Formats: sequence, structure tokens, C-alpha cells
Amino acid sequence: MKKIILKNKILTITLFLYLSVLIFNPTVFSKALSITWGFILEMLQVMIPIMVISSLITVWISREVIMKHFGQGSGIKGKGISLLIGAFSAGPIYAAFPMAKTLLDKGASIGNIVIIISSWAVIKVPMLLVEINFLGPAFAGTRYLLTIPFILLLGFVMDKALKYSDLSCDKNFGIAEKTEEIYERLPKVNCGLCAYKSCREMALAVYEGRAVLNECAVLKDGEKDGI
Amino acid sequence: MTTIILISLAVVSFLVSATKSKSKTLMSLKIAKGLFLSIFIQIISVMALIGLMLAVIPQQTIENLLGSGNELLSTFYGALIGTVTIIPGFIAFPLSKSLYESGAHLIAIAAFITTLTMVGFATIPIERKYFGNKFTIYRNSLSFVFAICIALGMGLIL
Repeated sequence: MKKIILKNKILTITLFLYLSVLIFNPTVFSKALSITWGFILEMLQVMIPIMVISSLITVWISREVIMKHFGQGSGIKGKGISLLIGAFSAGPIYAAFPMAKTLLDKGASIGNIVIIISSWAVIKVPMLLVEINFLGPAFAGTRYLLTIPFILLLGFVMDKALKYSDLSCDKNFGIAEKTEEIYERLPKVNCGLCAYKSCREMALAVYEGRAVLNECAVLKDGEKDGI
Repeated sequence: MTTIILISLAVVSFLVSATKSKSKTLMSLKIAKGLFLSIFIQIISVMALIGLMLAVIPQQTIENLLGSGNELLSTFYGALIGTVTIIPGFIAFPLSKSLYESGAHLIAIAAFITTLTMVGFATIPIERKYFGNKFTIYRNSLSFVFAICIALGMGLIL
């Protein structure tokens, strides 16, 4: 029980708050519920296609292709494509995360990932029209023209400040090259179908002998041999 | 509009994938399901939290913070409110307009809109699940600083 609560801290807090609001102010409760319902509908519309496209990228597009277009050496072209992906995407910022993570695991550079996430959030073609409509072309235009260089700068700084190893959620990262070797063989999709949260954790578990590659639900039989 | 394009893109690529290889498509479905389940509860909780916040805090409070007092302070408030909330653009822009008409500072509104979209205090738990703590902290704090730079730049230009 304690474990479940700790694992879903935010959910527990939220449920607690809703419960107290229900007791003390039922009007706010129903208002909050209807706002949340709107959010959830919007999320489902966006997140399901995002997940489908992300996983199709995982299955079909090779690491080399992603590295060539989004990797360290992709230069201005890579930054341009990243900006465009964000600009023509749909949904709020959290919808960008699974897509960005997929590209990152396939070898995209940190800078380009940051550009995708930021432009996904800020530079939106339909949103620009709404903004012009309400706040005028001068306001909207200036804001966009100022924002684009700052997004590129943000990507540049993040690229310089962070290494790939910083992105690992696993505290024991770098414990052994061997783990990395095992990780390379895993699908890197962090699907959670095995007992582990991420492929990194699974790789560590295999390394320490707590798991075998067979537990991976995504790898095909032929790919499981050797370890 | 973009949502429709996105959905059609997903459907089309899924169908193309299905005609090319059944096993690969099945695998991708498995992965998609895993991706969705691993983050589903977290997103719902965060959204419920924001929904509650929006229901509790009256619009009047936001107007007061962005409109009165000195310009620098309301810019900071604008950035702060934008940071901690997620408001869909279709609500945020009309809100900004009414704020502007009722006397809010232009820079404060620019800061509000930019941080609203770029910095996500509420989505930090989701972001760090994907990219780890360091990335999340760096990206959000840098975005916050840059958003204020953008707002100040707009104050100079307009």
C-alpha cells in the first residue's frame, strides 16, 4: 500500500485535494471536474496518435537515419527540421516528450531535442493566427521573431551543458560499460512490459544477474541469444 | 485543425506499416501501449490538479496581479503565473486581451504567454520521468530566464 502511494505521489495528493474540496465546496468540485474532463478529452485526441507515431518511428526508422538528420553533426539543417516538427505539431508540451524521447534514444542530439520540445510548445502556426486575432499582428509577430532565436540559443546552451549520461534517470548510470553493451541490444523503448521501468534498468538488472533478456517483450526470439 | 492532421498522419502511417509488415506493426502497437500506460496515470493526475487550480483561483486575482503596481513586478508575476499554470491557448489569448484592455502591462502579458507555453511547472513530474532531473531543471529554468528576456525585448521594440 505504502509503495503504491509513494509511486503515485501526485495522484494521491490530487485525490486528497479533490476529496476535501468535495466536502467543503461542492461547486468548485464539479467545476474542477468539468475542466479536467476537457483536458482529458484533449489529451486522448493528441496522445494516442503521438504514441502510435513514436512507436512506428521506433520500429521502422533506423538509428543511422535519425543520427544523420538530428544528431550531433546535423548542423543548421537539423535545427531547421526540429523547429518545423515543433511548429506543425499538435498538442501541449507534454505531448512532445514521448516523441522527443524516441528521437533521443535513436541518436538525436540534446540540442535538437530541446528545440523540438520548445518550438512544440511555443511556435504553433494555428496558435499564431489566434494570437494575431486577439492581440494584433505587431504583438504576435514580434513575439515570434524574438522567440525563435531564443529557442535556438536554448538548444545550443543545453547541448553544451548536458551530456547524454546526464539524461539517464538511473542513478547507477556509468556503473559499467557492460550495462551499456546490454542496453544497446535492448529495444530502448522503455515500454515497461517487463518488470522494469526503463530499458536501462532492465540492462542493469541483466548485468547484475537479476533478469534475463528473455523477459523483454519486444525483442524477437532470435535477438535474445548470447547473454 | 492540427489535431486532425496528426490523427490522419498516425492512421495513414499505421496502415502503410500494416501493409508492409504485420509483425513489425504488431510490435509497434505493443510499444505504443506500453508508452501510453507508463505515463497515463501521471498525466491524468497533473491535469486534475491543474483543473482544480483553475476552478479555485478566480480570474480577477490574475487580473489584479498583472495589471497594477509597477511594471517590473507585474512582468515577474506574469512569468510566474505562466510558469505554474497550463491554460489552453484558446482561453489564454482572449484572457490576455481582456487583461490588456483592463490595463495590464504589455510586457507582463508577453511574459505570461511565453512562460505559459515554454515553462511547465505542472509538467515537471512528467518531463523528468522522460529525461531525468538535470535536463528538466536546466530546461525549465533557462526557458524561464529566456521568456523574461523575450518579454523585455518586446517592451523595447513595441
